Amino acid sequence: MDFTYSPAENEFRLELRAWLADALPKGWGETVFEPEDERERAMFRLDWERKLHAGGWSGINWAREYGGRGASLIERGIFAEEMARARAPEGINIIGHNLAGTTILAHGTEAQKKRFLPEIISSREVWCQGFSEPNAGSDLASVRTRAELKGDRFIVNGQKIWTSYAQYAQWCFALVRTDPDVAKHKGLSFLLIDMRSPGITIRPLRQISGECEFNETFFDNVEVPAENIVGDLNGGWKIAMTTLTYERGPEDALGRQVRFKQELDKLMLTLARTMQGRRAAIDNPAIRQRLARAITELEIVRLNALRSFSRILEGGDRGSDASMTKLYWSHAAQNMYEVAMDALGPLAPLSGQDPAAAALGRFQLSWLQSKAFTIYSGSSEIQRNIIGERVLGLPR
Amino acid sequence: MNFAFDEEQKGLGDTVGRLLADHAALTGPDLSPEHNVAAWAALAELGLFAMMVPEDHGGAGLGAVDLALAVEAMGANLAPLAAVEALIVTDLLVRHGTRAQQHEFLPRLAAGDLRVAVALTEEGGDDAPESVTASVAGGVLHGRKLLVAEAARADLFAVVAQSGAGPAVFLVPAGAAGVSIRAHEDIDPTCALGEVRFEGVVLGEGAQVGAGAPLRAVARLHDAGAALYACLLTGIAARMLATAVDYARTREQFGQAIGSFQAIKHRCADMAVAIDAAQSATYYGVWALSEDAADRARAVSMAKAYAGEVARHVCNEAIQVHGGMGFTWELGLHRYLRRAKLIEHSFGGALWHNERVVSETLRMLEEDEAAQLAAA
Repeated sequence: MDFTYSPAENEFRLELRAWLADALPKGWGETVFEPEDERERAMFRLDWERKLHAGGWSGINWAREYGGRGASLIERGIFAEEMARARAPEGINIIGHNLAGTTILAHGTEAQKKRFLPEIISSREVWCQGFSEPNAGSDLASVRTRAELKGDRFIVNGQKIWTSYAQYAQWCFALVRTDPDVAKHKGLSFLLIDMRSPGITIRPLRQISGECEFNETFFDNVEVPAENIVGDLNGGWKIAMTTLTYERGPEDALGRQVRFKQELDKLMLTLARTMQGRRAAIDNPAIRQRLARAITELEIVRLNALRSFSRILEGGDRGSDASMTKLYWSHAAQNMYEVAMDALGPLAPLSGQDPAAAALGRFQLSWLQSKAFTIYSGSSEIQRNIIGERVLGLPR
Repeated sequence: MNFAFDEEQKGLGDTVGRLLADHAALTGPDLSPEHNVAAWAALAELGLFAMMVPEDHGGAGLGAVDLALAVEAMGANLAPLAAVEALIVTDLLVRHGTRAQQHEFLPRLAAGDLRVAVALTEEGGDDAPESVTASVAGGVLHGRKLLVAEAARADLFAVVAQSGAGPAVFLVPAGAAGVSIRAHEDIDPTCALGEVRFEGVVLGEGAQVGAGAPLRAVARLHDAGAALYACLLTGIAARMLATAVDYARTREQFGQAIGSFQAIKHRCADMAVAIDAAQSATYYGVWALSEDAADRARAVSMAKAYAGEVARHVCNEAIQVHGGMGFTWELGLHRYLRRAKLIEHSFGGALWHNERVVSETLRMLEEDEAAQLAAA
């Protein structure tokens, strides 16, 4: 066990730190913030991702031949810490980098890797995820969106839901039914679908936060070239499980931890400046107890990720602890935002535009957004089933 | 950067776990401290007490990280608390002891011949080691300490008391004139806890540990105690989860194993996640202690507070999963519940450690802000 860094790792950190100082706008996080408007903000984040790529800081753990820098998991950890320290913006092509890219790297053909990976790492192409359907949520294997192979193309018909960033995406990876006559897990395939194809309609869905990050996506006789299948025909379930393992894995958790840590730091500083009666909000002993718990849990999200990295580096498999990672960070983050709202006291109900709102209402918005954490990428109930059965060996 | 134990560290944990498993009476339902004697002797024979003693004093020169899994196994098997306190005081003497103290005590500690107990807690105290009221003036110690593990069997006490220069640690022989012991009535009689009175005890020359930096020695003792006790707590929690899962796999109701019901399965899953999290915090805390890292105070406090809450939760849940059986004396789950509760309140409870987590976080945030401002 050793939490010190090698000279090369320290050099990596300093190089990144210097680049970030140069790349971020002057006054970033102090006087300069992300745009208010949702679409403008998405474009701002996409620009930032492209800037990261131009600087050589996108998809850093990917192999050099696919545009990465072959960074180790340790360097990836350093990357996350430095992004947090600089309060760097997040991206909108997370699904492309973390899910589409990693799945194609693991299971794609060489031609698919050559076609898609450079576009993902550069964020020239943004991706969305077509897994959930109105009647296939936790029971993902019951998806009904149909793909029929006719000659050299699939004809896709059906509906996906909760497709985040579909409005910005050029591509979608989707789990579709290619054989309706076999057991439900065995008739699924994993397709890469061009969102610019005729027959695709997107309808935005408004979320409880008021934002429209996710959508309903309809497929009406959409033609998809047969070579856009990942893995075997009717072998899509296995591929989707790989995607989910990455979606729930330590890299994802560490990236999120960066955001949460930024917000928690901001919360602490906000509470130090917010007067409640004769004392600053930060001096309320009841709140301090709960803040301590939030600080600890968030630090544990980071430590859990580093521990997983070490397990993976020792040759451990990825699947077993992904559900534990996801279950933990989602509840830790929700708890942190509950503490934030409680700590803000009477100001908690005020939103972004109100001049009396604390920190532009960001904690309220994040609190609302956090309700999704324990639902998406597998609800907590599904994660607990997986942990109970596959980690603890309890009967089904 | 590597967050994994090496083969030797894992091997030591396994060895200690197997050795203690042979002393099954340690985890039996009855609340007798008599089994501690044989367990202590077996641990001494294994060489556990020599592990943290430097090589030039007859030890193996290992650090707290090397012993973390062994201490976790001591928690899981309800090993004598006094054995862990011996490791805690060894750590203190290695870091802050004078040459004379190291020469006198470390070889005897290494052999398991010197039984030393930490005398810290006081009635009316608030968990902060610096607020003790026991005091040394003119080389004479006055004070009354509570909850001292196996006090009646100790050869030496490590006493936290006020000195002219603030709180400090003093080594006091149990046989010194003015030392008296009263056995407590308490939740875990297997630890043979006692009240120790120091009434005008004349201290010898060189009784103080770390005279050059008294407060640092106190903090070291307290942090080492909190970090190793956190290991005990994760060990207890992991053992209780394993017991609950075994039961849930075999106990049938409504014609099937109760572990197939989500009401039970999900409780077990939540316990597993909580224990994994507590281990992340605890192992990091032990590393920070070992390396005397810049965030040692915060890391140790996170570990102790969190592991305490998790152990408490898992003990409660394990009893619930066992139903009526869980509440019986005979099954012995109460042994873990009792031990966890005692440990939770030793070397600072969650309230105190949580407060320290916040104040340390604010301090680190302010330092970081200042550093970034200076850099800009």
